[in-house]
Amino acid sequence: MPQSAAITVEKLSKTYQVSEREGGFSAAVRSFFKRTYRDVRAVDTVSFQIEPSEVVGFLGPNGAGKTTTLKMLSGLLHPTGGQARVLGYTPWELKREYLSSMTLVMGQRNRLSWDIPAADSFLLNQAIYRLPDADFKRTLAELDELLDLKEIIKKPVRNLSLGERMKCELAAGLLHRPKVLFLDEPTIGLDITAQVRIREFLKEYNRRSGATILLTSHYMADVTALCERVIIIHQGKLKYDGGLNDLARKIAPFKLIGVRLGDSAAHDLSRYGKPAQADEESEMSFIEVRADQVTLVTARLLADLPVHDITITDPPIESVIEQAFNG
Amino acid sequence: MLKIYQRLWQVTWAEQWQYRANTLMYLLYWLVSPVVYLSVWTTIARSQGSVSGLTANDFVIYYMTLLIIDQLTSDITIYNFASKVQDGTLSNDLIRPIHPMLTTTLVNNMAFKVLTLLALLPVWGVLWFLFQPDFTGVTWQGILLVIPAVVLGFLINFLLNAALTCVAFWTTRIWALHEFFMALGTLFSGQFVPLTLMPPLIQSIARFLPFQLTKYFLIELILGRLSPSDIVQGYLMGVFWLVVSLLLFRWAWRNGVKKFSAVGA
Amino acid sequence: MKNTLCLIKVFLQVNLQMSLAYRADTVINLLLNLMWLGWELLSLSIIFSNTKTLGGWGVGELITLLGVFRLVNTLMAALLWPATEKFNASVRDGSMDYTLLQPANSLFLVTFARITVWRIWDLVLAVILVVAGTFMSGAGTSPLSLLYFVVLTLSGVLIIYSLWVVLIALTFWFTKFDNNVTILAALLDAGRYPSTVYPAWLRIIVTFVVPIALATTVPVQALRGELGGQQVLIFLAVSAASLLVASQVWKYGIRQYSGASS
Repeated sequence: MPQSAAITVEKLSKTYQVSEREGGFSAAVRSFFKRTYRDVRAVDTVSFQIEPSEVVGFLGPNGAGKTTTLKMLSGLLHPTGGQARVLGYTPWELKREYLSSMTLVMGQRNRLSWDIPAADSFLLNQAIYRLPDADFKRTLAELDELLDLKEIIKKPVRNLSLGERMKCELAAGLLHRPKVLFLDEPTIGLDITAQVRIREFLKEYNRRSGATILLTSHYMADVTALCERVIIIHQGKLKYDGGLNDLARKIAPFKLIGVRLGDSAAHDLSRYGKPAQADEESEMSFIEVRADQVTLVTARLLADLPVHDITITDPPIESVIEQAFNG
Repeated sequence: MLKIYQRLWQVTWAEQWQYRANTLMYLLYWLVSPVVYLSVWTTIARSQGSVSGLTANDFVIYYMTLLIIDQLTSDITIYNFASKVQDGTLSNDLIRPIHPMLTTTLVNNMAFKVLTLLALLPVWGVLWFLFQPDFTGVTWQGILLVIPAVVLGFLINFLLNAALTCVAFWTTRIWALHEFFMALGTLFSGQFVPLTLMPPLIQSIARFLPFQLTKYFLIELILGRLSPSDIVQGYLMGVFWLVVSLLLFRWAWRNGVKKFSAVGA
Repeated sequence: MKNTLCLIKVFLQVNLQMSLAYRADTVINLLLNLMWLGWELLSLSIIFSNTKTLGGWGVGELITLLGVFRLVNTLMAALLWPATEKFNASVRDGSMDYTLLQPANSLFLVTFARITVWRIWDLVLAVILVVAGTFMSGAGTSPLSLLYFVVLTLSGVLIIYSLWVVLIALTFWFTKFDNNVTILAALLDAGRYPSTVYPAWLRIIVTFVVPIALATTVPVQALRGELGGQQVLIFLAVSAASLLVASQVWKYGIRQYSGASS
């Protein structure tokens, strides 16, 4: 018997009505009596399917509609059109069975109460999700093994570092062993070590539990480490759905080379590649170079110019996507 | 120096104006309790003619005056300042070449006062219409005499509260202490009932405490119920407490800041 | 139902641990609380040293009233004020999303978000005051009026709770509405004395607009034998209706919240 998809999304749409108002007092008075509304299509007939235990990166520039989609899939928002089934449930009906089998973790929001240790919040969750003692203890032990929680869950949350808090937030979201995880920027604001830690955890968790994960992130590293498949939306519309490797090859087969030059003379870098945005703080100028030519161009740069500093980086995910759909 | 206060006023006034909705709501708290006690005592006075010589009208004008005096001498230092000590943001204020309490906090108090009084005026008008008070006992001399006493009362209240707020340098339990101080205030200031109705013991204690200087003394003064010797005695008491509270505040501030910078918060 | 009780138990447990962690603060708060009670009794004694009755009510009845008032007050201080604070914060910072996604009644989760456990002591005091006051007023308290008293206190509390629900639900529409419960908190003080002594306008406010009197004055009136079974039934119906309205408003509020937030 073929296994059915974990998440099915069909022509999902969400239109917000935004009240428009100009600045200034008289405009405020006018809008009090007569509001003018403008429709904003945050999500526009998006369709995709995700199989059980897949890890999918959900990408797009700010305001593309990622969070709106995640909120609809978790059940927080009603769509204005289309259908979605997650584990066979329609999310926005908010059935208890559904809520007990999924989780939404948002990197910028706190689930845990600040004043009490995370361990106490976990107890509350145990009661709310009706977890039998044995299961609860087993899951907690497992999460502790993966995230090293033992010490940090005894301290009041307000005394934790950002990374420690995120560990606890994740653990709190996973205590009921959800089969589907919606993660919205789970590594935002964390330092590199903490990011790596969270990434490894998610990978291992997915391997062990077979949970389906849909995550958004601004960090390309999150996506490359975790997801084989990515879905990209832009201005509410689905733009790409497929393998990560293909994406890099198709859309952004280039790297960024940044150089800081020793003299202030105006050198024409466009001879070496397409100039990209400069970083004024570090006085670096960037050029885009095709991935297979990086070594060559670097050698030429070093030979031709008084280079003080040089870096080679992946283009930021934002610009990959911008490039793909605007350029 | 005056320029500093002028600038501070502009800034804090703008700030307070931002919070005007909060201020209005705050006023509601202040309003209800006096109106309740006003109702209770006028009911009793009406049913039996008078209470210890006080008629229903006496109670009406007492509590209606209380509403205004309460605003005039009120102090919000602790709400303004305690959190700064506790989260360490006071450091920003300490490195500026002006005394944080005697400038920013003081001016903030004034701005709040003006705003609440503005909001109180229409409410007071409505109460006037509802209770029809007879204020004929109030004279120009009474009003002139009360003005310095109000300033004195506010300064005492401000300095005592400022000193109390300085306790935040030593302990985090500042709010409990504040509540205790407030409880003493409601008992001894004449907030519940005119002090003459209190048991004699409490009356005689109250006479020597600063609390009645911020309420009871001022109300009685403006309503023209005090004899010249009472007035002199009240003023002397006021000057005495002003000196005491000033010394207390100076001591608490100096040692508190020393403690604060020693910890390096 | 069993699960609800279990939930409340865990909520209490967690909050109890919190107040144990701050033992000294708990003791200080208890002492302050006793001090305020002393003040309240003192003001009653001042009143009754100057008169025999207040609007026809004797000292025993006013002590009972004080007890009921403190019961309502405790409900507010122990449950609703902390819950309001947490609720407002969670709408502001978006963590309300998590509450809505938990497989339990969201209103329940919001109401019991934080409990000031030591206030249970206050409940005990309140009951002592009610019992003492009832004994002091002596004759005239039949078992039936006692029953009415209990029923009316409960229904009054439910009406106030419903009002609270509606007030905080308004935050779903006006997100910057941090003062949502101020009107309730400010008028609470008016419950200390029988609403019959207030001027008509204030009596109307505390009976119909912010119905503090329904949970304070009215039950004691029943104890005085002033209310019949029919009126008690009406109050019961009103409290059931207000609870229904409140839960509907809450539901609409949540729908509004999930319809508008991004």
